[in-house]
Amino acid sequence: MSDDVRRLSDELARDPGSRVFVPLGEALRRQGQLDLALKVTMRGLERHPHFPDAHDLLARISVDQGNLQRAFDEWDMVLRLTPGHHGALRGMGFVCFQQGRLADAERYLSAAVDAGDSDEGVTLALANVRAARQGAGTPAGGVRTVDTRREPRLPPGTTHDPRFLFADVLSDAEQTAMLLDSDGLVLAGAYVAYDGRDVAQEVGAELSGVTDAARRATRHLSLGEWTSIVFETEVAVVAMAPSQGDGLLVMATSRTTPLGLVRRLLDRCAERSAKWLGGRF
Amino acid sequence: MATPFSPMLDALTRQRGVTAALVVSERDGIVVESNLQIGQDGDRVAALAASLYRKARLAARAAGMGAVSFMQLEAPGGRLCAVGGGALVLVVVAEASVNVGLVRVELLKAIEGLSAAGGEG
Repeated sequence: MSDDVRRLSDELARDPGSRVFVPLGEALRRQGQLDLALKVTMRGLERHPHFPDAHDLLARISVDQGNLQRAFDEWDMVLRLTPGHHGALRGMGFVCFQQGRLADAERYLSAAVDAGDSDEGVTLALANVRAARQGAGTPAGGVRTVDTRREPRLPPGTTHDPRFLFADVLSDAEQTAMLLDSDGLVLAGAYVAYDGRDVAQEVGAELSGVTDAARRATRHLSLGEWTSIVFETEVAVVAMAPSQGDGLLVMATSRTTPLGLVRRLLDRCAERSAKWLGGRF
Repeated sequence: MATPFSPMLDALTRQRGVTAALVVSERDGIVVESNLQIGQDGDRVAALAASLYRKARLAARAAGMGAVSFMQLEAPGGRLCAVGGGALVLVVVAEASVNVGLVRVELLKAIEGLSAAGGEG
């Protein structure tokens, strides 16, 4: 472990709510420890969902991992939070170029230059893209411009990116929560595994049908409508509650969290999801 | 006739508020052995509890969380608790007023015996 990583890790341990996770994630990324960098960044984003530098870092980690689509999506988020962000425009241009979308690449790189990005690399990349387009017989003119002043595009009646719906409800970086619809598809939140991967879709698929099975069990036993399911694993405690329209709220926390606190956190997440589904958040 | 499961089922049903205890096959939800109150239908409870436990186990595996030890379903009128051991699930149905801490301890104590008697799944 380098001195930088050790120092930044200590700093983050002392103050888990600080933004030092960004330089720490960057240091890990530079060392090639991509899985660890991803984990640190994802955990930090749960606390700071609207921090553009963190989304920018997540995008760069994604590029290093070869996940260009996620990189593009993260830079798109940066652009929503900080219109005209040079790094995001540059990055989106790079991704488009890698994907062979030359017109889009030119559009983003031009927008970067127009937004005042004086990096020589951008100018050179833009020239290369234009040359590639001409070489491919594609006219360089008539390129759509990127509106770098656009507002965030969020669901009607909401003020949050759904992925971070529970970010400020959960009190610890070890906690994660998501909301599933009746088919087990993710509506909001994330389910971050211990290796930093978002496994919401996989977990949701396995849990589809839980609501129905729980309802049938409690009705058969005449226990009334079920209110919660809690299960303990080797490393975590997972708590679930029914949600509107046969949906399912799922929350996970570390094994060391007292069960009473787990219940309180589940209640708070349920309250948040009910507000969100009602368009009041 | 006493079976390897009889002592654990007896220990559980002696707890105040416990109304049923069953050993169930996780794969198909079939009752292996049960202590039920008169009039209770164990087959359906077993199938539903095994299904819930299996979903929890698969979800935990998808999230890389390791094995599921204890599961609890709560409703205003009572609780359904379960632990898994090998290919078997030990299920308890209890009233809402049960001391769930004690039931949990008894269930966790029974896991080893359950695995030994039922084989690894």
